[in-house]
Order: sequence, then C-alpha cells, then structure tokens
Amino acid sequence: MTKTQFYGLLDELLENDPGMLTGDAVLASLPRWDSLAVIGFIALLDQHFGVSVPAVKIAECRTVDDLAALVGDKLSG
Amino acid sequence: MPTFALNAMKLAGMAAAVPMKRTKVVGDIPDLGKVIASTGVKARHIAPADVCTSDLCAAAAERILARLGWYKDSVDLLIFVTQTPDYQLPATACALHGRLGLAKSCAAFDVNLGCSGYVYGLAMAGAHLQAGAAKRVLLLVGDTISKVVSPADRSVAYLFGDAGTATALERTDGAVPAYFVTGTDGAGAAHLQIPAGQFRVPSTEVTRATLAREGGNQRSDEQLYMNGPEIFSFTLREVPGMINAALTAASWGMDEPDAYVFHQANRYMIDYLVKRMKLPADSVVLQLENFGNTSSASIPLTICAGLSERLARGPARLVLAGFGVGYSWATVALTVDRPLIEPVIEFARS
Repeated sequence: MTKTQFYGLLDELLENDPGMLTGDAVLASLPRWDSLAVIGFIALLDQHFGVSVPAVKIAECRTVDDLAALVGDKLSG
Repeated sequence: MPTFALNAMKLAGMAAAVPMKRTKVVGDIPDLGKVIASTGVKARHIAPADVCTSDLCAAAAERILARLGWYKDSVDLLIFVTQTPDYQLPATACALHGRLGLAKSCAAFDVNLGCSGYVYGLAMAGAHLQAGAAKRVLLLVGDTISKVVSPADRSVAYLFGDAGTATALERTDGAVPAYFVTGTDGAGAAHLQIPAGQFRVPSTEVTRATLAREGGNQRSDEQLYMNGPEIFSFTLREVPGMINAALTAASWGMDEPDAYVFHQANRYMIDYLVKRMKLPADSVVLQLENFGNTSSASIPLTICAGLSERLARGPARLVLAGFGVGYSWATVALTVDRPLIEPVIEFARS
C-alpha cells in the first residue's frame, strides 16, 4: 500500500472528501479525530496491515504521518 | 491459555430482571447519532436510587426457583458475581442468602468480576458440582453500573444499562462436558476502573469532585473511567484466540454452535470481531439495542431476551464469551438441553 492510499483510508474513516488529508495534518486539529475514530483506526490497522497497535502508541502520534509510521515498512512511497 | 472441561453440570434454568424504568438514549451532543450507531444502544433500563443489583438478582432468583419447583433448602451454593454490591461487608451473597431464605448448609460468596464474570461463575459452579461440594447452585450475576457513571462522560454515559440475573445449575452425572478457557492480563487494570473511593485511594473531597477530562468529558475519580481504544485493542488481541481455543477444545467447527453470545460490550466491537473471525453472523445474538451494556449480566440477559425460543426447541450448542474489565476473559463451549428460560422481568419496588 502507498502512503497516498493510506491517507485515503484515513479520509474514508473520518468521512472526509477524498484527498483531503496530507501527511503533515495535525490530528488535534481534525474535528472528527475522537475516541471513536481511534477505535476505527485500530480496526483499520488490524484489517489492512494485520498489526495490533496499543492505543497508547496512537495517543502519542501528533500528525497523520506519525500514524503512518506505526505500520513502518508496510507503506511505500 | 488454561483450558479445562467440566462434565457434571446441567443448566436447569435462567431468569433476568431489569429495572422497570426504560430510558431512551438522548443527549445534548452534536454527534449522538454517531455514538448510537457505534454502541448499538437505543435505550437502557436504569435503576432508581433505591434499587440495587441484589434486588434485581433476588427477583430473578425467586422467579426461577418457583418455576423450576426447587425447594429453597435444596440449594447448596449461592454465588453472587457483581461489581456493584450492597455493602463493603458483609458479602452481598450472605445478605441474599438471608433474603431468599436458603438453608444454613448453603455456602455463599461474592465474586468481583464484570464482563467476564458470568462465565467465571459458570466455571466455579461447575467445579463445585463436579467436586461433589454442591448438587444445586444458584448463580446470581448482575450490575447497576449506571450508578457509577458520569452523565457528562460520553465515553460511558450512553452505553451502560442495569440488570440482574439468576441461573440455576444442578449436578448431572455424565453431562456433555463444558469446555472453558480463562485468562487475565492485569496490565490492563487501569484502562477500565473506578480509581478512587476504596482503600487504595480513599474517598475525599478531591476524589468526589467532578473534573474536566480528556475529550471534553467530565467525571470524578469515584466514577467509571473507560479507555475505549485500549479496550478495543485488548479485545482484538485476546478474544479471537480465546474463542478458537474453546472451539478446538470442544471439537466444534466454527459453524457448529447454534449461538454465540458475547459480552454485549458495544455493537461496533462485536460486529468487528464477527467479521474478523468470519463467524456465521446469524448465529451471533445481539441485545444491545434495548438494554445497553449490562456488564456481568449481559450474557445471561441476552440469552433470556433473545434465545428462549431456540433453546426450547431442543439441545443447543452455545459459545459464551466474556471479556473486559481486569483485563479478564473467559469463554465456555456449553451444550444445553432445553433449560427453562424465563422472559425478562421488569422490576419495580412494590
């Protein structure tokens, strides 16, 4: 999966228009990034990448690219 | 994970009671619809101040004892599973023993477990029956979590309901074995807890004060804190393996159980587990819509509300899975043969 596709999954999760999110978007500034979205993101990581990430690691993320870094080398581009 | 089989336990009957007052999920927040879609909860039954968990369990117990025709002096063991007891001491099981008029030869004790508590209760009942320590067991399981929830904390305010249940179990030689899987991860204790008000952090003005918390929520340290994302993460980590272990122990394929009854945590979580494990969705029983998450009572309440017709038709294979606060988890692969399942009682003080 490319980073752009990853951003697309996040856009879908947050009910954004496609292509809205960029890697440097600050999570705290996204109105729909709440605890329900975090739960949806945990499911997204599980479903698409087969990884289980503790919620505390997600809470430490500041930007969208910090979220992308959680799946490490599973993203290209 | 520890896996064990108990083969002297017959589930004779079950009853459940909820407070009469039914409360629709309403709130002055902009995204309530999203919350309801996620939890699956549209209404709950909420206990008034003068109704305790023990009252609901006592009503359920009286009903099932009467309908089964069990003499009260034939009950050898009363187990009360709750996190909302009447007293710090004595054990509420002892108080219930007195109220129900059980015999002095009947043992009684409390167990402090929540989401996993019903399955642990079945395991303890089954072990006593198998050991010959009891011939008849009354397993009373319930909670009134609404009493410890802050109405200004949206992570919990729209989720929980109250209920008390009674399950009657008796010794039967040569019963189909019940296969249990149990486990605990105490590292998760802080993610679902009431932090203060007991001995570790005694009650003070500070612990009783309502304070601003994460995400605009407000609660005191004597009210329930739930870290939803952490709980979800724990569930994905532990629950699929637990259910597979129980199926393997029972030599059941995934399509063989007549019903899967999960602790009714919330709709999103159960739907995701079903999808991820590729479980047959029509075998998964959901009763969140009208009752909410009733903590330890959710599995038996779901059976009473949603499975009585199926269970009356003939023998059935059930997978009952509890998981949550602790973290604690337990599953049983249980075969039942037409237990008496009472309709849900709506309880009010007369």
